Amino acid sequence: MTGFALIFALLLVGASVAAFTAAGWLLGPRPEHEGDAELPYETGVRPASEPGWGLAALYWRYAVLFVAFDVDLALLLPWALNRPVLDLNLMVSVTLFVGLLGFMLLYFWRKGTLECR
Amino acid sequence: MREALAFFSAPLLWPQLTLASGLLCCLASGMSRGVTGAASRTLGVVSLLVALWMLLFTGRGPGGPLVSLDGLGAAWQILFNVGALPVFLSLDEDDEVPASLLLGVCLGAGLLAASASLLMVFIGLELLSLPAYLLVARLPSASAPPHEASVKYFFSGALASCLFLLGMAFHYASSGSLALAPAPGIMGAAGLALMGSAALFKLGAAPFHFWLPDVYESSAPALAGFLSTSVKSAALFLLMRLASLGPDSALSAALPWIGALTALYGSLLALRQVRLQRLFAYSSVSHAGIMVLGVGAWAAQGCDPAAAAPLFFYGLVYLCMSNGAFLFIRLSGLSQRGDAAGYGTMRAAPAALFAVLLLSLAGIPPTGGFLAKLLIFWEAVKAGLYLPVAVAALASLVGLGYYLGLIRDMYFDEPKWRSPETETGAVPVLLWVCAAGAALLGVLPWVLKSYLERLFL
Repeated sequence: MTGFALIFALLLVGASVAAFTAAGWLLGPRPEHEGDAELPYETGVRPASEPGWGLAALYWRYAVLFVAFDVDLALLLPWALNRPVLDLNLMVSVTLFVGLLGFMLLYFWRKGTLECR
Repeated sequence: MREALAFFSAPLLWPQLTLASGLLCCLASGMSRGVTGAASRTLGVVSLLVALWMLLFTGRGPGGPLVSLDGLGAAWQILFNVGALPVFLSLDEDDEVPASLLLGVCLGAGLLAASASLLMVFIGLELLSLPAYLLVARLPSASAPPHEASVKYFFSGALASCLFLLGMAFHYASSGSLALAPAPGIMGAAGLALMGSAALFKLGAAPFHFWLPDVYESSAPALAGFLSTSVKSAALFLLMRLASLGPDSALSAALPWIGALTALYGSLLALRQVRLQRLFAYSSVSHAGIMVLGVGAWAAQGCDPAAAAPLFFYGLVYLCMSNGAFLFIRLSGLSQRGDAAGYGTMRAAPAALFAVLLLSLAGIPPTGGFLAKLLIFWEAVKAGLYLPVAVAALASLVGLGYYLGLIRDMYFDEPKWRSPETETGAVPVLLWVCAAGAALLGVLPWVLKSYLERLFL
């Protein structure tokens, strides 16, 4: 199958999915909204708040910091496992990398990002 | 992996390493209590200047699988770094954050210029863009709604990154490598087109320009000047790199028309603008169109690196003109187009400098703007692109309407208001330098010749 035929086939599949979704909405019976019918799940614990509430910037800072330092583990773990067979070059560059991470942690710490409020 | 240390010790990357050390020093200066923003600004300017000086004797050629530097990359690093100087010198924040973010943008642009692999291009592009989104939020203009423009910039930038990644995937699927080398087949062409549209997004070419006026209007004027020069020339460089991967691809064939229509569209919309910063944002769209037309003409003639000199010259002249125009907005405090009425009688010197910049932006001889436009049009005519050139020339003609209109307002209208006292310090000096650059590059373009020859080699 050439590239274009594949693209057209995918477009066709997408268009038919969209057409059926639209047909169901257009032709089918409209749901009656009563009780918990509008909730994502009609049974179980009712949600405590609206899903669209704003997250405080304070929380985002922790989230972003967590992701930044968490993703680095993906690099550090293979390094730690292969440590016995690595040469000096790689040891120095990893030390530089960890040093940069440490520097940024120090920076956030001095800026008061890590303080609990 | 063994090249890790060689990567850091390669003279190719000395300018980038200088900027990175400057960035770390800026952040470190923020950690100690007594140090103010002035220290970080000085650090920023010094590291930019040292990086510029180092460009003269960094080597050329490949430096491992990810990095390689040619004359084009070295020349464009001048544009990134010189374009950043005005915003550094006109910062008046008292912490280190803006200076650090600006250095981050320059570092990203520098890595982009020295990349030999699409992975490195992507890293450079992201390192360039993420601090730019934050800068728009950090240095807003006086009347901007908080954070709105920054969020718009972020989302449109994220879309551009997605397009680029998808294009990278197609490129890899077609060629089995992420090296900056031509990829065969229809998948390769599709990948190139997707990556090219990401570059056009960053450049603000129509129809990908919709984020640009809001962002430029809501940024502090000096920052808008930086975004329209350094960041745009990085996007232009990316577009040139991509076009040179396929001089006869669909992307390169579309570029002259995209450029001509962008130039016309930007000019027509600028006619209707009331707010000055928005007017210059649309003017920047229009100038980006002419640059894209230049890339198209360059690609149509086979992407010879030595033939990129007109594009470089256009970038350099536009650097003076755009930074100068935005610095004038900062200096004069004018926000509406009508406020310019009678400004020439109130403040003679800034008004005269602004008039020079406007004449150059409009492309009136003998200014730099005229020569730059002429060179691009000449290349396009040589490549046989007569119709796009005609459309772009029409756009320049429309541009006269608002550039010369502003001059008429400044000198022939009665003043309606008292302009505030103009500030002293670096901004007036920078305005002088920018206006002098825009004027002198038109009459004495050969002052650059020996310096450029050393770089392009």
